[in-house]
Order: sequence, then C-alpha cells, then structure tokens
Amino acid sequence: MYPLGSCTMKHNPLVNEKIAKFEEFSSIHPYQNEESMQGSLEIMYELQKDLCEISGMDYFTLQPAAGAHGEYTGLLIIAQYFKNKNEKRTKIIVPDSAHGTNPASAALSGFEIVSLKSDENGIVSPEKLKEVLNSDVAAMMMTNPNTLGVFEKNIEEISKLIHDNGSLLYYDGANLNAVMGIVRPADIGFDVMHINLHKTFSTPHGGGGPGSGPVGVKAFLKECLPSPVVIKEDNKFKLYFNDGKKSIGRMKAFYGNFPVILKACAYIKSLGGEGLTQASKQAVINANYILSKLKSKVKVPAGNSCMHEFAMSLKGALGGDIKTLDVAKRLLDNGYYAPTIYFPLIVEEAMMIEPTETESKQTLDEFIETLLNIIEESKTNPEVVHNAPVNTSVKRLNEVEAARKPKLHW
Amino acid sequence: MNYIPISDKDKKEMFDSIGVKDTQELLSLQIPETLRVKKLNLDKGMSEQELISLFKQYAQKNKSNLACFRGAGIYDHFVPSIVDEIIGRSEFWTAYTPYQAEASQGTLQAIFEYQSVICELTGMECSNASMYDGATAVAEALLLAVRASRKNKIILSKALNPEYISVIETYTKNLNIEIIKIDIDSKTGAINKENLSGMLDESVAAVIVQSPNFFGTIEDMQELSKTAKDKKALFVAVVNPVSLGLLKTPGEYGADIAVGEGQVFGNQMYLGGSTFGFMAVTKALEWKMPGRIVGQTVDKDGKRGFVLTLQSREQHIRREKATSNICTNAALNSFAACVYAAYLGSQGIKELSETNISKARYAFDKIKNIKGFVPLFENSLFFNEFVFKTDKNIDKINEELMKENILGPLDLGKIDSKYKNCVMFAVTEKRTKQEIDKLAEILTRV
Ligand SMILES: Cc1ncc(COP(=O)(O)O)c(C=O)c1O
Repeated sequence: MYPLGSCTMKHNPLVNEKIAKFEEFSSIHPYQNEESMQGSLEIMYELQKDLCEISGMDYFTLQPAAGAHGEYTGLLIIAQYFKNKNEKRTKIIVPDSAHGTNPASAALSGFEIVSLKSDENGIVSPEKLKEVLNSDVAAMMMTNPNTLGVFEKNIEEISKLIHDNGSLLYYDGANLNAVMGIVRPADIGFDVMHINLHKTFSTPHGGGGPGSGPVGVKAFLKECLPSPVVIKEDNKFKLYFNDGKKSIGRMKAFYGNFPVILKACAYIKSLGGEGLTQASKQAVINANYILSKLKSKVKVPAGNSCMHEFAMSLKGALGGDIKTLDVAKRLLDNGYYAPTIYFPLIVEEAMMIEPTETESKQTLDEFIETLLNIIEESKTNPEVVHNAPVNTSVKRLNEVEAARKPKLHW
Repeated sequence: MNYIPISDKDKKEMFDSIGVKDTQELLSLQIPETLRVKKLNLDKGMSEQELISLFKQYAQKNKSNLACFRGAGIYDHFVPSIVDEIIGRSEFWTAYTPYQAEASQGTLQAIFEYQSVICELTGMECSNASMYDGATAVAEALLLAVRASRKNKIILSKALNPEYISVIETYTKNLNIEIIKIDIDSKTGAINKENLSGMLDESVAAVIVQSPNFFGTIEDMQELSKTAKDKKALFVAVVNPVSLGLLKTPGEYGADIAVGEGQVFGNQMYLGGSTFGFMAVTKALEWKMPGRIVGQTVDKDGKRGFVLTLQSREQHIRREKATSNICTNAALNSFAACVYAAYLGSQGIKELSETNISKARYAFDKIKNIKGFVPLFENSLFFNEFVFKTDKNIDKINEELMKENILGPLDLGKIDSKYKNCVMFAVTEKRTKQEIDKLAEILTRV
C-alpha cells in the first residue's frame, strides 16, 4: 500500500498498459500527416472533451508533461491574458499550504509571489485575502481540497473577491480525485487549472514520470492556449495552431505525453461518469475511515472530517524524541510505503495520508493497526522506532554526507 | 469497471466508524450543497472487452509501422526487447518518486546508473535524473546559464530544432532575457566561427549550438566552444546520444552544459512523447542544476546506498527560489535509455553510430544521383539526416511513398518558408538496403 498524501497512488489498470503498447500507437512519427494518425488524434480529442466535462472548463491542452509543467503553462496563460489586454499585473497569491511547485512555477513565469497565511483551520480566510488583494495581483493559486485534505468552503466568497479585483483564480488539480462528479472547478469560480493524469486518472508514476499535466481554461482564455490543440472539423481530427501573438506558444516539443494521455482516456472510458463519481466518493470514505480510527491518538488540524486525504500532526503523539520521520521509516519495516511527511509545511511534524479508492477495507484496517502499533511502540520501545528501518535492503542512509561530498556517478 | 474492492457491508462498517449514515451526509460535512454538480455527462462505463475493441478501432485509423525516413527530432531506432522487459517490471513501472530512500533503492540506483551513463556519454561531470524532453532541457539549460553567469544575453543557433526554439521563446517570455540568433553558412550548413566571434562580447551569458544540427550537419563544436569561452560565455551543447559513439563528447570540447533529446535511446516514437531530456553539467554548475539528482552514500552500517541529494536546490524546499519548478520528470523513459546503453555497451554504441552514418551516406549518394534533387548544403558533413532541394512536387512524392508504406522526407517549407522546396531525410540503423532502394526508385519515378 502506498498511502501517499497528495500523490493519489491508485491501482494502475493492466488493460490500459496493454492498449498503450499497440504498435499502431507506438510507431507513429509526430510529423506524419494528420490523415495517417487519425486514431491517435481522436484519442486526444476524446480526452480533451472528457476533461472539459469533468472539470467544467471549456478547452484543454494536453501538451504539459507533468503537474508542475501544467502550473507553468497555466500561469503563462494568465500572464498572456493580461498582456493581450495591455494590463500590467505582477503578483500571484499562493497560500502557505501550497505545494512547492506552485510558487516555483509562478516565479518561473516572471511573477512575484505573495504568500498567504492560512487561518487556524488551515484554509484560506477571505479576510486575510482582502489584505493582500490589490491591482497588482494577476491571480491566486489554490488547491481544493487543499493540501490538508479540507475543502475550501469559502470558495464562493474568495472567487468573488478575486474576480471583483480583476484577477483570475488558478486550480491546482493534484487533488481532483476528491471531487470527480461532486464538484467541478469551473463551476465554483476557477478560470484555469491543471490535472495530473498520473494521479487522478490512474497512469503509473514510473518512479518519477512520465506524467502528464493537461491544462483547462474557460472560453475567454482560449486564444492564450499553447499550440497545437486537437480539433474536429468535417469529421476529421486536426492539429490546430493558435495565433502566435496571442498564444503562449509551445510548452514542449510536439503534442504531449501520448501513452499517458491514452491510458487516462482508457480509464475514463472504462469508468464512465458514474464510475468516476463512485471512485471519488469511495476515496473520500476511505480517508475518513482512517481518520475516524486515528483521530483520538493524533492531532488533525482539519478536524473530524476530510476529503480524500488528511494531514495530521504527530507532535505530542509520540514517545521521547521520536519524530514523524522515524514513524515513516518504521512503516517501511512493516511493508508499507510511508505516507508523505513534513508536507504541508504549515503542519508541524506532518504526516499526510491518502489511501485512494482502490484499497480494500482489509488493507486499510491492517494499515491503521500498524500505524497505531508504531505510535504505541514509540513510547514502549522507542529504540526500535528510532533504528528503523531494519527490514529494507539498506538501513537509514546518510543524506548529509551525500550532499556534502556528492558522488553522482560511477 | 471501477476498480473499487469495497463491499456494501464494508461500507456500512466504515460509515458507522465515521459516524455518518451515508456518502451524502459525509460530503455535506465538507462541501456546501450549492456547489455540487448533479452528474457528469459522460458515456457509460465499459467492460474490458469493450474497451479493447474501442481502442482497436482507434488503432486501425492510424497508418503505422511505416519505413520511416522522417526525423527532425524524433527518430525511428530499434528498441531491443530487453528494454521493455526490464523497465516494465512493476517495481519500476508503478513505483512512486523515491522519497523514502530505504524502500526505493531499486529506483534510486536505476537513476544513479542513468546519471553515470549520461556522464560517460557526454564526458560531463554531473547529470540530473532527467527533464521532460529535449526542448525543455535546452530551455532549462538557457535559464541555468543566465542564473550562473548573472548575464542575460544568449546567442542561439538558428539551426537548433525549431520546436526547441519555440519552447525557448515561451520559457523566456516574461523574463528579462535577450536572445540573438546566429545563422548557418549556406554552403556548409554549419555555423561559421568568424560569424560567432563577431557577435560575441563579454555581455553574452551563453552560446547554444546543436550538433548534429536540425539539418543534420555536424558543427565544429571544438572551435565554437573555444570561441565562446574566449569571451567568457558558457557553451551549451545540444547533442544526439546516437552520434556520440563517434563524435567528440561535449566534455572533450569544454562544454559547460550538455543537453539533448533522449528518445533515440530505447524509446519508441509515440507521436513525439513521452520521451525525456537529459542534462549534464560541469562540477562548477552542479548546485545550479534544475531537477532531481541521486547520489551515492552509505547507510548506518556503512553499506552502499543511494539517496536524492542536493535537494536544497529544489522547489519542495526552496519554493520560489528553487532552480526550477520541475518535480515529476521522465524517469521511465530515462531508465529505458540506461538499459539500452547498458545492453549495447560502448562498442555497441560506436557501431550504432557508424551504421547510422553509413546508411545515411548510402541513401544520400543514391538520392544525389536522381534528377531533380540537389543537396542544399554542398559541403555539409552530416550524421544521419540531410537536406535536398527538389523541383518535384513534394506532396505527391510523399503520397506515392505512403502507398508503399514509406514515411517520406519532411517538407521543410511547411516549417519555415525560407526552406521552400527542400526535403529532409533521416536514415537510422533500422532502414534496410531494400527500403532505401525502394525510396530512391519512387523518388526517381514521381
Ligand atoms: C499539490 C501538488 N501540486 C503540484 C504537484 C506537482 O506535480 P508533478 O510532480 O506532476 O509536477 C504535486 C505533486 O506531488 C502536488 O502534490
């Protein structure tokens, strides 16, 4: 089990892998004429269309190669939009609970970052937002549910504040697995968003990629999208190139990470609208179930309920000088990959659990029991926890030495 | 199909533990009712059998497995079976980013081996774990050069792959970076060193040159690198790994950054993605490099092991001050290259280079003898790609070739009007003598 918060490590269906290996897809050169790659283009078109329905957005580009690349694309689109309007806006608001890629992508796009402190429940407070809103603000980036696993319930008010200010609202779709068929980002005020196909739409992570980070926009941003996108004309699929002056241009060579796109498309086709909704609902149930079993032992800033994941603080829950890191390592000894730790940064001694919908109740129960045992063990037998892991191929590795005298190849 | 292994009985127990009666009540704890969507307007789900038959229908709408004489950044090289077999093992294929080192030694060592292969191939000192593709690798190399030199003027070869140039233009759009493009000589198809020298002064951060360049011509990297460094500019070499079996390595001619597209090593074409970009730098630039890096270390007992290292460059720690925003990269694609390189070995890579050159030369000579085809650069020294000017109808040529399941040359006029009536051929080790002869025969006849 891979209970990694923010990463959505769900089952990777084998049939999708099998289809992706068809030579009719793998042997296509990107500069073949459109006539000779109608099948591949149709798959891309279908995915663009389905992602529009799932998110409520009007248009999608499949070009970005990962989530961070999608953020970068989205922020360049926002910059381009204001440039096309001849409006100078230099700042992006990023909540302090955001993933590190958010501020990094904003900086790469030429923006200044305004960090917004979350309120005591870990969500964005409209009051605090008002304090930093001014005519320099191009957009605010939000993850909803946020990285604590909490739905930003003031989103309507936030959206109104942002839009009244002439700014745009960006949606980091890393947590889309919580809301498919439940809430659509475009309906609740978001203008631009990215989706991680390698999270929500079941494509494997491959130890760190390839991923895919499609970006969706509302209609008024269409001309800013990167080129090309796939369109359908007279029952033929075509690569359409936007006007070079108004579009951001190109995010990577060619059209996107095709096998990832194909697998996500196959996943959506297998589940259908109802299946996707069930998947999100079950993901929420599974996370709440784990939360219900742990909440008496640990601090959960989100409180008594969560969406598809939750961040908890192990501060005060552990014996002696045992840290979250030690608990993570002890989980490895027990055959689990450790949850995300020390993220989000606003939770002290954070551990973030996202079970996804594809684990059985039995697996969840075993995981809960193991985690509770380790918390107990941290008090009764701290040495064991401190020395973990011992069942892995190596013991705790010296990271300090690795950075001090880097040995990066043979 | 929905891949949910939870029974109604399980669900009931879970609701009891949570303290709600159903999903509706659970969701209402988090989401205001007014924000909810009624339902998704998508097709009904499918069984596995239906899904396969749908995708078979899509597959049949492609014209695939052509004898490919088209390149321009993506090439039809042979991928040995061992590559898919090894990278397809679930320990690699479905694993997450190796944040928990002790449980991720396989992935971490795979990246370390990959970095070693890239260092060996390029002659550079440090490689990262991979970039998204060749284009983004070059764009990030440019940003790295600007960061490292604290200067903002870049000289870029016009014979850099045009897709890469577009990506660079996008990446630098809102940053204060000045880009000057240097043209190639119309006779040699390569950059003239005197031209470069004339454009350089000490305000230039870096010179970026691709070799073999977009038109297939091998540049005099030794001289260009020296010219750049004489004026204290960094030299960024954009190289094709297949050519490195024969050509001098970026390390040998003193490049500061070596980048390129890795698809050619062990990755299928797949409509141009997913592939990976590689990036390798000198020791001096190590801390400025974007992306993940794996380093060797020891565990508590002194046993050799691997970890992600130099992480304080990265976004999860440095946020807006990070060297890049990259997080997920292209691990499996780069691992494919690592397996491919290990399988071929250095002798194998040398032979691969030679076969590409000799087959391309054979095709070039054949085409040169066809009436209506004249080499665009009479004195070009090329690797596995070359350009002809033709007075024949290019669309017609490609149509006729397609009838024989041959993917003909790229019509360069469609990419840049300056190259109207020019066609570019790529010839890899995969093309057979019969295929090349057939190509020549059709070119003669049309
Ligand atoms: C909230 C959030 N945003 C963005 C990202 C970046 O996505 P990627 O790794 O695909 O670039 C992640 C990845 O972990 C994430 O959790």
